[in-house]
Amino acid sequence: MNKLEIKEASDVILEVGRILLTSGSTTNRVETMMIKVANCFGYPKTHAFVTPTGIFLTVSDGKIEHRTNVHRVESRQMNLGKITAVSSLVNEMEKAHCDTSLSKMSISKLKAELYRADHTKNWPTWLQIFSGGATSGFFCLLYGGSWLEFAIAYAVGVLVSLSVYLLGKLRLTLYLATTVGAMLIVLFTKLFGVWVPYYFKTDNIIIGGIMLLVPGLAMVNAIRDTMSGDLVSGMARAVEAIFIAVAIATGTGVMFKIWTLLGG
Amino acid sequence: MDHPFNYLTLMQFCWSCCSIIGFSIRMNLKGIKVLFIALGAGINWGTYLVILHYSKSLLLSVFLSTILVCIYCEIVARLVHTPVSVFVTCVIIPLVPGSSLFYSMRAYLEGDRALASHHIGYVFLIGGTIAMAIAVVSSVTLLGKRIAKSAIGT
Repeated sequence: MNKLEIKEASDVILEVGRILLTSGSTTNRVETMMIKVANCFGYPKTHAFVTPTGIFLTVSDGKIEHRTNVHRVESRQMNLGKITAVSSLVNEMEKAHCDTSLSKMSISKLKAELYRADHTKNWPTWLQIFSGGATSGFFCLLYGGSWLEFAIAYAVGVLVSLSVYLLGKLRLTLYLATTVGAMLIVLFTKLFGVWVPYYFKTDNIIIGGIMLLVPGLAMVNAIRDTMSGDLVSGMARAVEAIFIAVAIATGTGVMFKIWTLLGG
Repeated sequence: MDHPFNYLTLMQFCWSCCSIIGFSIRMNLKGIKVLFIALGAGINWGTYLVILHYSKSLLLSVFLSTILVCIYCEIVARLVHTPVSVFVTCVIIPLVPGSSLFYSMRAYLEGDRALASHHIGYVFLIGGTIAMAIAVVSSVTLLGKRIAKSAIGT
C-alpha cells in the first residue's frame, strides 16, 4: 500500500494530539484519535502514551520503519470547541476510507484544516466575556438571588472574566490565576456593596462568581481517565481539581480577611 | 398544593439553562450543541429539585439526577457527533458544590470550625457523588460497547 512518509505522518499525528491535549481533552481520547490517524496513514502498529503534560508516540508499520517522538505540553487552556472540531475531523477522515487521505494533495488540506481548528475562534472575545457575566448572573438567580443581585452578579462576572482573560495573557499558572480571580470576585462584590445605595446580600453574588472558576472539566476528566484505565492521568487530574478548589477557597478567604482588616 | 411541579421549579430550570448557555459560549462551543447542553443542564437541576422534594436526601438527588443527565448526554452527544465528555463537563456545572466551598471558607473566617468542617464535608460528598454517578454511566456504556462489539464479531 502506498503510505505516507514516516516523518510527515508522525508530525501530523503529533499535531492532532497536541491540539486535543492543550484544549483539555481526556488522555484516552487523545490516544484513540492519534492511533486512528496513524491507521489511516498506513502505520497500524503505532503506540501512544499520553499524560496530561506530555505525549509519547511511536509510529511504526510493524515491519521496517519506526519513529519515536516525545512532545512536552506546556500550557493547557480549556477549549471544548477545539476538541469537537478536531474529533469530528478525525472521524470524518476515518469514515471517508483513509486511502483518499494518503495523497499529497489531501495531506496539505488536512494540515490546513488542523491549523484552522487550532486558530479560529467561534465567538469574539467580547461575547465570551459577556457570557461569563451571564453565567455568573444566572447562577446568582439560581441560588435564590434577587434581580438587583442578578445585575450586580452580571457586572462582577463580566469584570472577573475580563480580568481572567487579561491574566491569561501574562501566562500565570492556572492556580495563581484562579486564586487572583477568586480574590477579585470578593473585591468587586464588596466594592459594589459600597457604591450601590441599596441593601443586598453578597453571598449569592460571590457564589455566582465562583461558579465561573470551579474545576468542572478537571473533575470530569479525572473520572473518565480513571474509568478508562489511565491511572496516572486520572490521579493527576483529580489532584488538579482539588488544587483548583483550594485555590478558590484561598482566594476568597484572603480577600475577605483583607477587607475586614481594612475596616470594611 | 405541595408538589414540586410549580412555576418556581420552571424558573429554576430556565436560570440553569441560561447560565449554561453563557458557560458553553465561554468554552467556545457553537451551534445546536449549545442548546442541547443548556437543556441538559436544565434537566439536571430540575430533576435534582424534584427528587430532593420527594426524597429529602441531598446526596441521593445529586446521584440520581447526574445519572439521568449522563444517560441523556451519552444519547444526545452521539446524535450531534460531539465527544460525550464535552457534554458531561458542561451539564454537571450547576450541581458542582461551589456554594459549600464558599460557606465553608466564610465559616472558617468567622471562627466557626464546626460549621466550616460541616460544609467542607459536603464539598467532598457532593463532588464524590457526582464523580461516582459519571463513573457508573461511563463504565456501563463501555461495557455495553464491548458486548455489542463481541456480538458483531462472533
